[in-house]
Amino acid sequence: MISVENLYKTYGHGSAATHALKGINLEIESGEFVAIMGRSGSGKSTLLHILGLLDVPTSGGILVDQKNVLKLNEGEKARFRLEKLGYVFQEYSLLPEMTILENVYVPAVCLDGKNGYRKRASELLEIVGLGERLKHYPNQVSGGEQQRASIARALINRPKILFADEPTASLDIASAKVVLELFKKLNREMGQTIVMVTHEPEDERHVNRVIWLRDGLVDKETKSEYMGEYQKSS
Amino acid sequence: MGNLKLALFLAFKSIIKGNRWALILIILVMSLSFVNLLLTPSILSGVTNTLNQQQIDTLYGNIIVDPPPTEHYLGHVSLIERKIEQIPGITGVSSHLNSEAFMEYQWKEKDSPSDKGESGTWSVIGIDPSREVNVTTIHEHIIQGSYLDGNDRDEIVLGVEIAGGDKAQTADFLTLQGVKVGDEVRLTYPNGVQREYQVKGIFQAKEMTQADRLAFVTKKEIASVLGRQVYGDRASQILIRTGQGVTANQIIQEISSLGINAEVRSWSEYGGAVGGIVSSFDVIASLIGTIGLVVAGIVMFIVIYINVINKRRQIGILRAIGIKRDVIIGSYLTQAIFYAILGIVFGGLIFGYVIQPYFEFHPLDLPLGQVSLVVGALTISSAVLGLLIAAVLAGFIPVISIIRQRIIQAIWGN
Repeated sequence: MISVENLYKTYGHGSAATHALKGINLEIESGEFVAIMGRSGSGKSTLLHILGLLDVPTSGGILVDQKNVLKLNEGEKARFRLEKLGYVFQEYSLLPEMTILENVYVPAVCLDGKNGYRKRASELLEIVGLGERLKHYPNQVSGGEQQRASIARALINRPKILFADEPTASLDIASAKVVLELFKKLNREMGQTIVMVTHEPEDERHVNRVIWLRDGLVDKETKSEYMGEYQKSS
Repeated sequence: MGNLKLALFLAFKSIIKGNRWALILIILVMSLSFVNLLLTPSILSGVTNTLNQQQIDTLYGNIIVDPPPTEHYLGHVSLIERKIEQIPGITGVSSHLNSEAFMEYQWKEKDSPSDKGESGTWSVIGIDPSREVNVTTIHEHIIQGSYLDGNDRDEIVLGVEIAGGDKAQTADFLTLQGVKVGDEVRLTYPNGVQREYQVKGIFQAKEMTQADRLAFVTKKEIASVLGRQVYGDRASQILIRTGQGVTANQIIQEISSLGINAEVRSWSEYGGAVGGIVSSFDVIASLIGTIGLVVAGIVMFIVIYINVINKRRQIGILRAIGIKRDVIIGSYLTQAIFYAILGIVFGGLIFGYVIQPYFEFHPLDLPLGQVSLVVGALTISSAVLGLLIAAVLAGFIPVISIIRQRIIQAIWGN
């Protein structure tokens, strides 16, 4: 599904240059729940941003379903992100002026001129356990609930890949567990491909595979004992 | 369609749930800016209107009939007056027999014939007072004494700028230096005829350039000065007053069709000096209006810029989840236009229901006369258009500066 070839990312120039990625090569299959782990500064967030088309690499290639996504122009990238990718950010990323329901269906308004997106947003919020919170504003729910709403928003356009950038970093242990269980549920029951950056060691057991980064390079890959949709079918 | 819907939705939510004080502030600024855009040109238009009306009321009426270029006088004036009076829409017709005269006050106290004393040369207009009151308003501006009667022969009415004294604005030495009602003045006409008159009245029409420098005697009197009986039915010009609901052009066409050997003109063709003032006012109004617009635009820019800066991360997130730049720009432009429309509505209400009625009941009492506000369709449409354009620019520039940042930079600020 995702094929990354010789990916480099350098910030700055000359002696001030920082090499965040130094030639990443990896493959992610459809239906996988993959964690990208590594120490702080290893390049894991940079890699996720580039995979999610939020940033551009200095060189290298990324194929998503055999499509060279780095060749897309800004408008095409925006469309690709809207239709094919979903994001869950580290910090709460809901728009404070909108209700939980509105936050979830915002990305679908562009694609669905009718009002079908409302029903789908409600269903997704039921799935993530926020069926009773549709008309609440973000500041009226907990951090864990906000993050679950972010997950529902990421899924509203049925993305091929869900990217999550340290989604539990700002949460307490109980809320973090709920969010991770939700990811597992989505992966297991809906076959959702998920790529998650995390630095929590215990998250390793929730995913199919961990790609370890070190100094901008893939250090190793480890398989988890968690049996998701991907491993069951392969 | 979906993009437009989302842009409107984002704008709506931002307005409804955004900072109330920012909303109130920006609408207040927009309202006052709109009032400013209307007020300045309206005052200047009011001044122009007053000047124009003064010219009509005191000097020209609405239409002037002059002799043909080759003649000094119009003949058979009684007949012409009667013909013109038949035209519907005409409320007054008055013929003038004009002359110049050298006027002297207290001439008996002069030491020698070369002593200038209190004297000067001014225009003297012969009128039929009963007809003149239907055309000009000089009779309403008598500040001392009274107006002429039809049979007055040795009496004269002077403009305040001829009479001089406390109320005159002209330097004293350029006037008769304080003539009062009942005083005697001596007039020497170009044909050498010399007449003494008692001052019957002094008027102050406040017309800036000419009216208060005129003197009036009866037409019979000036005809006798000119020396021939035939002048009794001649005129230097005929002034015509029109009523509501007719245009000058309509009346001019009607008069022309009567077959009178004369030149017929609208008063505005005589208003050259005032025309220059009006043009100057238009330039001043445009300048002040432009400054008002720039100030409104800058204030709006600052408020929207702060708003956009505060929402930088949100804008980044919207872009990250695939919302197009155009949609985000559209939402901020919608907000800016919404602010401008509210400013136009509230500013319009303030202007129409507070400021305009106030000036109607308390007109500005300026040296040139009483001035109230005159607001035209062009002024309103220019103000509306100007404010909308300022709002669009003020909304567009801040958001475009943020939206050009990389998504990562917008979200995380690095």
